[in-house]
Amino acid sequence: MRQIAKSRKEPLFFRHERERYRLIVVGSLLVGLILAASIFAGTSTGYSPYEMNINEKLKAPSIDHLLGTDEIGRDVLTRAMYAARMSVQVAAIAVSIGLFGGGVIGILAAYHGGLVDLVLMRFMELLFSFPAILLAVVLMASLGTTLINAMAAIGIIFIPGFSRLARATTQGVLRQPYIEAARTIGMSDARLILREVLPNVVTPLVVEAMAAFGYAVLLESSLSFLGLGAQPPEPSWGNMLNTGRGFMVVAPWMSIVPGVAMFVGVLGFNLLGDGFRDFLDPKLY
Amino acid sequence: MFRVIGQRVAAFLPTLLATSFAIFIVVNVVPGSAARAALGITATPQAIARFENELGLDRPIFVQYLDWLSRVVTGDFGTSFQGRVPVGPDIARRLPVTLELAVLAFVIANLIAVPLGALAAFHHKRKIDTVITLLATLLGAVPNFWLSTLLILVFSLILRILPAGGFVSIATDPVRNLKLMIMPSLSLGIVSSALLLRIMRASMIEVLSTDYIRTALAKGATDSVVVWRHSIRNGLIPFLTVGAVEFGWLFGGVVIIEDIFLLPGIGSMVLVGIVNRDYPVLMASVLVITTVVLIANMLADIVATLLDPRQISIR
Amino acid sequence: MTETIHVPLGSAVREHQLADGVPTLSIDSLSVQFTNRRGIARVIDEVSLQVWPGEIVGLIGESGSGKSMTALSVLGLAPPTASIISGDIKLSGSSLRAMSKSQIRTVRGKHMAMVPQEPMTAMNPIMRVGKQVGEPYVVHQASTWKHAIAQAVLMMGRVHLPLPNRRVHEYPHQFSGGMIQRSMVAMALSLGPQLLIADEPTTGLDVTIQAQVLRLLRDIRDIYQTALLFITHDLGVVAGICDWVYVMYAGRIVEQGSVQQILTAPKHPYTQALLLATPSIISRQTELVSIGGSIPSFFELPEGCRFADRCVRRFERCATEPDLIGVSASHTARCWLSV
Repeated sequence: MRQIAKSRKEPLFFRHERERYRLIVVGSLLVGLILAASIFAGTSTGYSPYEMNINEKLKAPSIDHLLGTDEIGRDVLTRAMYAARMSVQVAAIAVSIGLFGGGVIGILAAYHGGLVDLVLMRFMELLFSFPAILLAVVLMASLGTTLINAMAAIGIIFIPGFSRLARATTQGVLRQPYIEAARTIGMSDARLILREVLPNVVTPLVVEAMAAFGYAVLLESSLSFLGLGAQPPEPSWGNMLNTGRGFMVVAPWMSIVPGVAMFVGVLGFNLLGDGFRDFLDPKLY
Repeated sequence: MFRVIGQRVAAFLPTLLATSFAIFIVVNVVPGSAARAALGITATPQAIARFENELGLDRPIFVQYLDWLSRVVTGDFGTSFQGRVPVGPDIARRLPVTLELAVLAFVIANLIAVPLGALAAFHHKRKIDTVITLLATLLGAVPNFWLSTLLILVFSLILRILPAGGFVSIATDPVRNLKLMIMPSLSLGIVSSALLLRIMRASMIEVLSTDYIRTALAKGATDSVVVWRHSIRNGLIPFLTVGAVEFGWLFGGVVIIEDIFLLPGIGSMVLVGIVNRDYPVLMASVLVITTVVLIANMLADIVATLLDPRQISIR
Repeated sequence: MTETIHVPLGSAVREHQLADGVPTLSIDSLSVQFTNRRGIARVIDEVSLQVWPGEIVGLIGESGSGKSMTALSVLGLAPPTASIISGDIKLSGSSLRAMSKSQIRTVRGKHMAMVPQEPMTAMNPIMRVGKQVGEPYVVHQASTWKHAIAQAVLMMGRVHLPLPNRRVHEYPHQFSGGMIQRSMVAMALSLGPQLLIADEPTTGLDVTIQAQVLRLLRDIRDIYQTALLFITHDLGVVAGICDWVYVMYAGRIVEQGSVQQILTAPKHPYTQALLLATPSIISRQTELVSIGGSIPSFFELPEGCRFADRCVRRFERCATEPDLIGVSASHTARCWLSV
């Protein structure tokens, strides 16, 4: 006697979902652009990022040099692409360090509770209260200005944030009744963490990692801008912008190109991160 | 109420202490580099040893820390490696510059974030909201130093109406001071506003979905009344806590911005300390910045607690 | 021993009013629906009800039956995703649907008011109670705050809140649930509205407080002749206070009549089941019977009678949905069995 009602079905992409998918699509496009640049850095333009040519210096964008040349004749487009590769590498490693470091600390703190939790979290709070750029700058100063140190420094900055998230999620998991049940049948701590805690913690952490990627790119660029990241002649958007400042009137493309590249990169990763966050946890937004 | 303030202040001091220790350790973790930076690469081991002995750099690190700390507490920030001049007066001169920059930037950020965030929340899920959110996303992706570069390009080099760098105290020449500070403050403030806008918007959306807003509407209140009387203050309270943290993060940005605009503040002092491997300078400037940030956080915490009557009442 | 049911002279009141005059609230064939990706949910389906001056009308139904939405729709406070498809809502003869937003605002709080469901969240936590209770004066009469708060003291006294002149300066978290509820009643009555809608005003309160609130509402009706629409899921409460009853199920009115008729001779199986499930009404000797099943989802409403699959007395005719069939002149039920 019961029938399915005569309800009209709305199209799958109802207005709001459309907007969320739009975020992911645009973000993916921009990120794709950056990734393509990093992959094809050496093979597409035919120039080397270090190749100097004084005769060609400060040339405006032309067919030969699609985005112009810099003050010692290097092709700006090539340098920007190599810089993209470097930014992505640094960001990837830094975010991974933050993810793993923060994840481990957060899970341990939540799992053991008590003194361990207190000590770890106080330390995290301490780190967290430093303005990020300041911390990065000081770390680079004391460790030395190499690329590896930049990855480490940025990674360290991300650890407190990830640890907070990991801790909160772990606490949520541990409150579930099936944890108590698993313990009573004698499951060891390690297995418990591996089988129950980890799968639940991974998702929010990964989503957060995507959101953090954009910030990592920003931090790396800031460090390079100050001369504390990639060292010349290695190209980085930051140091390209820094050099470009001196030639703003004669060769504005030297500043505009790295700036736009930075913007596209950060925006793309932010959109992607936001889109995934919305997608997986819509009730927060 | 005073108990709350007391608690916050009491928590502040150990944090400050721990922070100072962290700074000291991080900066001094690599032995010998200070001497090499001051004396040059060609320095002989004997010269390095003498240098370190003179400045007490060969003592155990914890002893060095306590020594430094005891002097800092009395106001003696040590002597710079480079110029052998006391660091203290430098800090006193530079701090007002950075504070002015941070405050101006913060004001600008809030002037943008609060009204736009509230507006977006009121028109949630409608066009204005989408536009404002998009704007916030775009602004948040702009690196502040690139914005500075663009501003300089437009206003100093093309239009020639603003100077590109330098500083004059507000007491000496307020007009020129503002001219010099407007671009740096905009660079910092506009980018900060992006995050603040999102927070304000989220906070207001939360407030507008509450039952008491519906009660206010049921009384026949107009939208503007509901806005002013019932929602803004409620929305600002959670916003302030985040806003304070953002104020602290501005002090990270000052390091870059002061460098670009040649402002003699604490931020550029940090860079001077780094470039010259001048550890007393570096430690002093980082310590001062961190202290200001911690104080700002503490104050914001206190203010937020005071604004919420649920926290004050004795029951 | 059974409890005696208080039976007011409901039918007499309504029959008297019908002769002359206009109902304070008249909902005529109102239909309200939500649309989302699951489809269309018509949460209020051609609902008609009336509340006359001085009458206490009960609207009873389970959670999810659409009764709260009805209250919100009258005040124009339904969520923006809900749309009125058809029908009208009239306040003392004037159509509310025909009014502009600003016109409705002059009516809200002044001619019609609501006491909402959850007292604890109904007040602004960072604003003093007196300001909130007195706010209608500021909104509608351009009064000063000083005067508004003085009026609030008066109103709060009238709802029997102790020490109102001290209480006005306190914050909501310093009040108990019952006290907030009474303050909400004071707030609603400030400007002497013709219509008061009370949405589950006693749910979640202690039994003694419940009785106080009910007595208060009855007194208000007696003194001010306010028309009161009382929304609840508890037939026991309805028995205690209402003159007239509308029973709502899955967005439809399934039975309506005077409280005597509904309680002593219910015709719709749902109403009958509700009675059997209400401990305060049936005798101690009878077993409490719960109603099996649950209300259908608004997105997948059945073709025929909406109660059919939970009904113990269904038969073939129930495959078609009945209209409201007259049991007597004033008592109607949406059931083929009452033919």
